Amino acid sequence: MKALLNTLKWIILIFFLFVALYPLIWLLLASFKTNNLELQQNPFGFPEKWMFVNYYTAIVKAKLPALFIHSIIVAFSAVFVNLLVASMTSFVISREEFKGKNVLLTVLAAGILLPIISFMVPYFTIIQKMRLYDSLLALILVYSAINIPISVFLLTSFMDSIPRELEEAATIDGASFVQRFTKIIVPLSQTGLATAGTFCFIYSWNEFIMALLLTSSESSRTLQLGIRFFTSQFVTNYTAMYAAIVITIVPSIIVYFIFHNKIISGLTAGAVKG
Amino acid sequence: MRKITFLVLSLTLLAAGTLFANGQQDKEKEIVLKWPSIWVGEDSKAGAVAELVDQFNADNAGKIRVEVEAQPDYDGYEQKIRTSIAAGIVPDIFTMKLNPTTKAYYESPLLMDFSKELNGGWGKDFNAGTVAQATVDGMVKSLPYEVAITPVWYNMDLFKKAGVSKYPQTYAEFLDAAAKLKAAGFIPTSQMTGGSNAWTSMLWYSHFLASFGGPDVYANPFGTDAYVKAAEVLLAMYSDGNTSIDAIGGDAGVSGGHYLAGESAMFINGPWYIGRVKSEAPAVYSATEVGPAPAAGNNKGAMVGFLQTNFAAAANADDPEKAAAAVKFIKWMTKSENVAKISAASGAMFAVKYDSSSITDELMGKFINASNDASFTIPHLEGVVTSDVITEFGQALGKMALGEATPEEFVEMLKKVQDQ
Repeated sequence: MKALLNTLKWIILIFFLFVALYPLIWLLLASFKTNNLELQQNPFGFPEKWMFVNYYTAIVKAKLPALFIHSIIVAFSAVFVNLLVASMTSFVISREEFKGKNVLLTVLAAGILLPIISFMVPYFTIIQKMRLYDSLLALILVYSAINIPISVFLLTSFMDSIPRELEEAATIDGASFVQRFTKIIVPLSQTGLATAGTFCFIYSWNEFIMALLLTSSESSRTLQLGIRFFTSQFVTNYTAMYAAIVITIVPSIIVYFIFHNKIISGLTAGAVKG
Repeated sequence: MRKITFLVLSLTLLAAGTLFANGQQDKEKEIVLKWPSIWVGEDSKAGAVAELVDQFNADNAGKIRVEVEAQPDYDGYEQKIRTSIAAGIVPDIFTMKLNPTTKAYYESPLLMDFSKELNGGWGKDFNAGTVAQATVDGMVKSLPYEVAITPVWYNMDLFKKAGVSKYPQTYAEFLDAAAKLKAAGFIPTSQMTGGSNAWTSMLWYSHFLASFGGPDVYANPFGTDAYVKAAEVLLAMYSDGNTSIDAIGGDAGVSGGHYLAGESAMFINGPWYIGRVKSEAPAVYSATEVGPAPAAGNNKGAMVGFLQTNFAAAANADDPEKAAAAVKFIKWMTKSENVAKISAASGAMFAVKYDSSSITDELMGKFINASNDASFTIPHLEGVVTSDVITEFGQALGKMALGEATPEEFVEMLKKVQDQ
């Protein structure tokens, strides 16, 4: 009976593994197929001929290397700005006592529920007024701002779980407000910071609509915009586009693999406070 | 180590701001016109349009320069234009699809009204009726440019293999032909409920509306007889194997893919698809003929045609020189010989009068004949209803095709959204 249950467990796990991985495997196979017709006629099989040239087309045509650099600048800078602002905000909300702090946290966290499309006109107007249109800085500021609600929510929960005695001991030893933040809370919040940072990175790396809205020239084009150059209103070069997508998802997967343990513990922090 | 990391990231941020904040630099003397354009990347018009822009810039060096801002994603582009106008910032030059949703742009004083320029003689360059179609309350705030007809494409090789000697002219002939095609292992029609507008099926529906309701079908209220009868025929297209099983939820790649693969015998799309069929499926290209949909109602030979893309520009009321420069550029783009160049390169059709003799493409010639032979032409449904109705169209069609809604309920769903 136990052996049967064990087998059943493995069958279910393998099934879900297959469901989770299949789209990625399909994408990888499709990126090596010959053309759109083969995609249509043989959508699930192996390529008749492995077309490595699709990757060459993707890299050369979409100018992926330059776009890669832009996306890296945007994603890492957005993570940095986001964590800087969100960690300070969370520190104050979590560790200080003041009137309306719960209201403040609720208002900030409510931002998670707002659809991005509702921000389009205000962000576009602000960026135009700041004369930052068509710059990477515009994307950095917007991506970091959009992710502040989720980061504050995560970091506040995480910081709530850090024993207050540690801060009190530091205060007795003469630590200032800033030192409590930089020397005690930030080092102990690394898991939470990694979680929030990973979310922000993945969002910034994959975001498309704001990038389309706020930039126009090649000098500020990100990877996700570059991928769309394989499409037009009526025609799409699917195989080269899939090759470009395969290339672009690699960093997201790497970031997740590096930080996935911290993400899980960061998400569960504060769940079982004593 | 942390301090170094902090320093590196700060410098990166600073560099991003300074190095790439290049969009706002104004140059004196030269007028710079920004044109967010969808005719880039894989678009069939991209090459010819780029050449014309380069030539215009060379001819006007030091005076006017047009900078194309590549916008590869069509839906995203429309979103961007909507957002820009909502924010009170209009691109110097842009293109738009004129429909009930975008007609609201005419209310904006930020858009240039071309009517004065057109009355000054420029209007004679356009085909009869096209400027009238783009006129709202006496204003022409979007200039008709690209037009299209969307006939039924049919693969005569498949018809012959199935024992059908000629393309069906009536619905009864269609059912007969469909039965023979299915018996021979072919899919009679390509359909799709997916994408943002269920494009191919929306066009089939528009053809049947024309057949049942005649040239004034859209003057009748939504929900009248023609809409229901057209829905009944559309449902028949989704029944009894008359389309592929992946049509429900399928997008343009699915419907077009079956036709390209020589699996489906009938398909609807515009002339922009010619290049793709020619390059990817030459046998299908050679076998393709085009014509109106089989007449399901009393009106035969109707065609679906529409203004596909219109030019628009910022009014620039405080900068008449810039406004004049924009007009100069759009006049350049609408010059007969320039339009002929784009048409020859892409297969697209235009609202401007031009010599089409340079178009050597055989299928393009069949398109022009189909346009000339049409008993009358109506716009497609998407051109006469708001975008939310068209979004609902695909959803409602999916329900009807799955047997969860009757044709009456399908029309009622569309009517409900329109009434809202």
